[in-house]
Amino acid sequence: MDVVRLVKKAKRGSKEALMKLIMAEKDHMYRLAFTYMGNQHDAMDVLEEMIVRLYENIDQLKKEEAFYSWSKTILVNICKKTLRKQKKLVLIDEWHSSIENERIHLNTNSDDQMEIAEMLSILNENQKEAIKLKYFLDLDYQTIAEMTNVPLGTVKSRIYEALRKLKDHYGGEGNERDRGSIE
Amino acid sequence: MNEIEGRLNEEKKRLDAITAPEEFEARLRGALDAKPSRKPKHRSRYLMVAAVGLLCFMLIGYNYNAFAYYGKKLFGFDEVISETLQDLNEKGMGQIVDKKTTLIDGTELTIDGIMTDANQLIMYYTLSNPQGLKDTFSDIFNPDKVTGFLTNAHGGGGTAIINDSGKEVKGTLYFDPVSPFSRKLTLHFRQGVDNREGSVTFPYDPNKAMQTQIHQSIKETIKVDKGTLTFKTIKATPTSTVIEGKMDVVDYDRLHFGLEGVELIANGRSIQKLGYGVKSSFNGSKFDLRFDGLPAQLDSLELTVKEFIGYKELEEQIPLTSDEEIHFDLEGNDLWIKVVAATEKGIEVTFKTDGNVLLDGVSIKSGSRSTPLKTTIGHKLEKQGDGRIISERTMIFETKTMPDHLLVEGIYYVKQYNEQIEIPVH
Repeated sequence: MDVVRLVKKAKRGSKEALMKLIMAEKDHMYRLAFTYMGNQHDAMDVLEEMIVRLYENIDQLKKEEAFYSWSKTILVNICKKTLRKQKKLVLIDEWHSSIENERIHLNTNSDDQMEIAEMLSILNENQKEAIKLKYFLDLDYQTIAEMTNVPLGTVKSRIYEALRKLKDHYGGEGNERDRGSIE
Repeated sequence: MNEIEGRLNEEKKRLDAITAPEEFEARLRGALDAKPSRKPKHRSRYLMVAAVGLLCFMLIGYNYNAFAYYGKKLFGFDEVISETLQDLNEKGMGQIVDKKTTLIDGTELTIDGIMTDANQLIMYYTLSNPQGLKDTFSDIFNPDKVTGFLTNAHGGGGTAIINDSGKEVKGTLYFDPVSPFSRKLTLHFRQGVDNREGSVTFPYDPNKAMQTQIHQSIKETIKVDKGTLTFKTIKATPTSTVIEGKMDVVDYDRLHFGLEGVELIANGRSIQKLGYGVKSSFNGSKFDLRFDGLPAQLDSLELTVKEFIGYKELEEQIPLTSDEEIHFDLEGNDLWIKVVAATEKGIEVTFKTDGNVLLDGVSIKSGSRSTPLKTTIGHKLEKQGDGRIISERTMIFETKTMPDHLLVEGIYYVKQYNEQIEIPVH
């Protein structure tokens, strides 16, 4: 597939060319959104927003060959913005009914996911993000730096710190509880 | 590779197996198609001058009534309003109010502006307190209604967002429409932990209310399994579209589904649903469905009852002999029976169905003796990876004898009706 040619077409206003570009990388795009959002519903919402944003702003992309790293950066930004919003947005209906509300337990995570989420919960947001991008999505340091808009050195040290924390916390052979009882 | 990296790698393998869902292409294409086509930017200086000239001409000659509105944009509300409202706000289609009052805890409440039309009043407000606002700002400010001459508009919800420093909240509130004869409006609210009453009055200019775009009757009835749905009128304004009707359906509230499966389709695209309400009266119920505003250029309009509550008589006898989980197909809906156990409460049958399936007329049979259902306990909903919601609960029967059959007389479920009503647009 000729990325540069398609990007040029998209710049001239072709929605079809943009769709082709995204469809060629759809699994990667989806996994990236899913890693941030944690469920299919929210992942698809941010992807929808992404394609609209790409279409509106593709004029600003100077280097055609950088299309994918540009679009992934935009996707990551939308994910983060949406997560921030989800945290802060309160529906007034919920204010009123929060007391008598019958809480229905929605379990979105499988056991494995819960475990990994629990394991990563000792890291801060930046470290968690770096670990996920590096290990789950197999991205290199340079790409992570571009996508999250931080210097290369920072990405490296975040990952290094995160791994050190995880190793300290979960250790080699024994589990945490065993060590606790010895101390 | 050490253990930690091993674990991370396992998670990667799990994630690698995830592929984009089937609807990926359709959803993205849909989002993209909703955007008007963009022309590449090749404006010459000459063209720009021409465009400015034309704009001035339009402002003076044609669109002068735009000056009737506030002509300004309210800032800071982007995250709490829909795209339609953002658009109207950009165009300055509201009234600046900018009225301040101080609440009992010292928080300042500002009514920044309002937008009104025949369907609703939307209020833009700010709460600010240099001391910081509590997370539960409902303790500080709890909006109730808007009153005025011939006006008693109840609140219908709203959204709000607190800023990073925790000192300012920006939000919108939705109320019933206000009378065009009102010249002053009063917002009533409750404040403080002891819910003390408070109010603030501000001037209102009904001439600045936005025009209704469509108001016509529909008068179409659709038959469903246990009754009828009648769609009576549609009223479309720039901020929203309201469809009113009557529902004569027995047991429609047996499922938590209501009118969610009704869609409004304009120019072939589904309009975002904002909510619905049902009011019951002795001869059926009245309902109103709220959707986002319609596109300015309207070529076609269609109402679709895609899904609604259905009922199917079954008279199904399910054998309860196996110790393992058993699966049944009830008219295309799954039923799994997990455990049948005798406890001190009686016989307990734990089972799973799709989130929106309800069994009707359930009893258990042991030989020729049957025992009707006493109650259901322990309701759990679980979301599957594919988005499907599975509901698990336990039925209790007051008997000591182990049953050999489970009897189900019928099921309520979400049924595909796909009935369409064309609404003529002129």
